[in-house]
Amino acid sequence: MNDTNRSLEELMRLALGGNKRAYSEALQATGRMLRPYISKRVAAQADVEEILQEILISVHKSRHTYDGNRPYKPWAFAIAKFRLHDHLRKVYSDELRYAAELEEAENIGNADVTNSGITYELIKGEIEKLPGKQPQILHLLHGEGHTSREVAKKMHMTESAVKVAAHRAYKVLKKKLAE
Amino acid sequence: MLTEQLIDDLTEKMQSVTPAPAPIWLFLKWGVGTMAYIAVALGFMGVRPDIMEKLHSPLFAVEIAVLSGIIASSLFAAALLAFPDMYQRQKTIWLPALMFLLFAAVLLMEFYADNPPAPLPPHTAECLLCISLLSLVPGAFILYGIRKFASTHYYMAGKVTTLAAFSIGALALRLSEPTDSMRHLVEWHYLPMLGAAVAGLFLGKLCLKW
Repeated sequence: MNDTNRSLEELMRLALGGNKRAYSEALQATGRMLRPYISKRVAAQADVEEILQEILISVHKSRHTYDGNRPYKPWAFAIAKFRLHDHLRKVYSDELRYAAELEEAENIGNADVTNSGITYELIKGEIEKLPGKQPQILHLLHGEGHTSREVAKKMHMTESAVKVAAHRAYKVLKKKLAE
Repeated sequence: MLTEQLIDDLTEKMQSVTPAPAPIWLFLKWGVGTMAYIAVALGFMGVRPDIMEKLHSPLFAVEIAVLSGIIASSLFAAALLAFPDMYQRQKTIWLPALMFLLFAAVLLMEFYADNPPAPLPPHTAECLLCISLLSLVPGAFILYGIRKFASTHYYMAGKVTTLAAFSIGALALRLSEPTDSMRHLVEWHYLPMLGAAVAGLFLGKLCLKW
């Protein structure tokens, strides 16, 4: 019998015994099964792939908890739900961290924005003094107008790493320019 | 990295694994360990001198039986919660909560039966300290056991683990300490079990994340 005709339970039983072909087939089938589930809950395609990969790694790490004697789908979906919630929790906590405080917004509103000593050259100079990849990230975000996802792709970083680096750079710049 | 490439990598790394034992075996292993632990603890602390007489009192016997029920149901729930899908027996994990409600009802009956009230012992928080110390070993042992698996409900797993551990401590002390003041027992023996279960939620997150 061809592996593709076997049930997921049977494939996993064979995989637990060390059958690599069955394991590959089981992971591919799991991916096909879970992609629509994640797509329904996450809009960005890049995020869908990232979450799917995290789930497949989790399936790999916890495969010893599946014995092949009970339905496979509830087991796989339990892991998928767990990892998806983990991801969403991280995303929302990041968004909250970067959200501006209302008081900060009010302070900006009251500030004298028409008469400041801050020039384009001064900002540019301070940006160039920033450490590591921060100048390049700010240039791509604000000079070239890329989104953080596009910057992450260009610089081979994760989107949250780009956001964190940009946030740190803003903090340094704010401090320097306030001096 | 493409998902296809990841699947190829995982397949390449894959080795045969022995499936984890079913939760019933985990439960039996932990149950036998618990009985041995309580026996050893009683060996050190000594059994209360009036134990045979007390076991003939129906309310005391029911209290011990239901407390043992909390331990058993918590251990079984912890064994189920060690699996990502709770071994597809989701409803069973609520059994400890039901047992605790039953236990509260038994305590209420004992409270009304304790008339005139038995004298309060001279000590207070020492009992809580003793229960906490007694629960350390079983709690650590069960948490270590769950960590070998892949719990996707670590809050709940932490909660039932600490409930089981504190119930073990409370049972050992109840069989050892010749105190029958219900006020003392509720305040210093049994209410802390609830507190421990709440603390277990955070302990689960701390120890069981993977």
